[in-house]
Amino acid sequence: MKRPVFIAECGLLCARGGNAQAVAAALWAGESSSSTRRLGDREFPYFSLPLAEPNWLKHAEQAVRHVGTQLGPLPAETPLFVASSSFQIGHFEQQGEPFDLPAANAAFSCQIADWLQLSGSLTSINNACISGFSAIDTARSLIAGGQIDDAVIIGIELSNDSTLAGFAAMELLSRTACRPFDVRRDGLVLGEAVAAIRLSSTPAPWRIAGLRTGLDAYSMTGPDPAGGPIGRVTVDCLNEANLLSNEIDLIKVQAAGSPGSDLAEANALRQVFGEQIPPLVSLKAALGHTLGASGISELVALIACLDAGKIPATAGYQQADPEIWPIFPVDRNIRQIKRALLSLIGFGGGLASMIIERA
Amino acid sequence: MVYLDTLLSQHYSAESLAAAVRTAIGKPLRRAAPLTQLALVGALACLPENRRHLPSALLWQSTGGPRAETQALLREVFIGSGEPMPYDFLATQPAIAAAQIKPYFPGLQSASYFPLAKKGIAEWFQTLTLAINWLEEERYAQILCAHLDTNTGTATGHWLVLTKLPLEKARFKLQLNCIGSSPQLPDTPDFPQLLSEAPINSLALQSPAGFRLALEFTRL
Repeated sequence: MKRPVFIAECGLLCARGGNAQAVAAALWAGESSSSTRRLGDREFPYFSLPLAEPNWLKHAEQAVRHVGTQLGPLPAETPLFVASSSFQIGHFEQQGEPFDLPAANAAFSCQIADWLQLSGSLTSINNACISGFSAIDTARSLIAGGQIDDAVIIGIELSNDSTLAGFAAMELLSRTACRPFDVRRDGLVLGEAVAAIRLSSTPAPWRIAGLRTGLDAYSMTGPDPAGGPIGRVTVDCLNEANLLSNEIDLIKVQAAGSPGSDLAEANALRQVFGEQIPPLVSLKAALGHTLGASGISELVALIACLDAGKIPATAGYQQADPEIWPIFPVDRNIRQIKRALLSLIGFGGGLASMIIERA
Repeated sequence: MVYLDTLLSQHYSAESLAAAVRTAIGKPLRRAAPLTQLALVGALACLPENRRHLPSALLWQSTGGPRAETQALLREVFIGSGEPMPYDFLATQPAIAAAQIKPYFPGLQSASYFPLAKKGIAEWFQTLTLAINWLEEERYAQILCAHLDTNTGTATGHWLVLTKLPLEKARFKLQLNCIGSSPQLPDTPDFPQLLSEAPINSLALQSPAGFRLALEFTRL
């Protein structure tokens, strides 16, 4: 990297609250309640945004404008990167037949740019669950390379039945709750979120020390259970940051409550960190798995926790899995974290690791 | 300095795409969406066998994306049974293409899908700039950049392969320079074809608003 890239501003709206500090406080308090969504005869827990607006497009507009405001004034020419796995499919569900989708599949990004009053370059990224980190990686590379100085990266995932039905059809969803690394874990719980960061070449309290993406082709819906590809991406990220594994103070794991992925992640942690595994925290049992928005929403929530010096407990974890033990999330605690590693394991084989450190 | 090793444009009908897949790998690519099939035949056509194991990234963009597959999913969910067949849902997820083609392209380490926001406008400038940055960092030995689209009955793929070191058949060198006076080509999906057919030795790719540098191509 030719020049460092900093996280200058953050914005967040998710099931736990309307800004990063409120979300961090809710996480510290152990809040993890969810609502439900019905699909035919089945009902699934779901983390909805605290917005009452029933019209999908107006709901999206409220959420995007709310998060945009948290970033402060932005020059109109600031490049915008949009990460999502479903974009505006919920709008077309409400529109009904003939499901007249736009000719360009990320046309919704133009709408988001208008809501944020940004008219600079516009890039959309859909890498399923790692979309957010892929978008950050893209923007960071362009800032580090000197082609741009600042960028807004927004992750957006809003309620829709198509995604819920697709995940349900593949039996990937829990009918009860998300239980990261717990022996009773039985699947994901999806949710909505809109989160944004402004990256900048201008120094700010947090710097991106490393970010690497990878690919696990073991299957289309789950990682290699041995964890090899996940471990390799983590090592690539450590190498890019020029750090040893024992220099990581905290890991925000993917740990979405999936029986296979959680085990694969635990095996990867063993390979990379040996017996000295840093404290672990998972946020998905409190925020939901927000797919294309998960990377950015969890990053923003984690930074708010770290800024407060309060590491939350992992909701949903109660009973150790003998296959995963002795890897388990930490109890809530107060500590100063200098460097944190964040891990994403994507549907479709995408992997991503990012290290942030205090500047 | 980075080199443009391969320029490739492919056009298929639905039938000829399936045939091209069988020719490329000796069998059909099971349960693969048309965009995935197009990605496979393009990637394999760009890379000789001895380069498929090298550390590689795929940066691909699409205007329409999985449009027909998404419409089929919506019909299944809202008019049909309420829950789609799993592979019908997977067909709407472009991100899985990389996992499906990796067995035939073992060096593929990372892939990013860039859905486009406007018809007729592409993001070659940005994907190529990203590729140059990553090659200069030595993240990968080669980066494949593509624009892929499957519309009613047709499939079109445009490809550029960038390498850090010049290969014997390298066609252009690429540099990020201050915006100069070289003739500019528009950033459209068929840019590789326009570049291939351009009768001049040096030209630039139109840069998006807010970017300080121009991407210059010089024929070797």
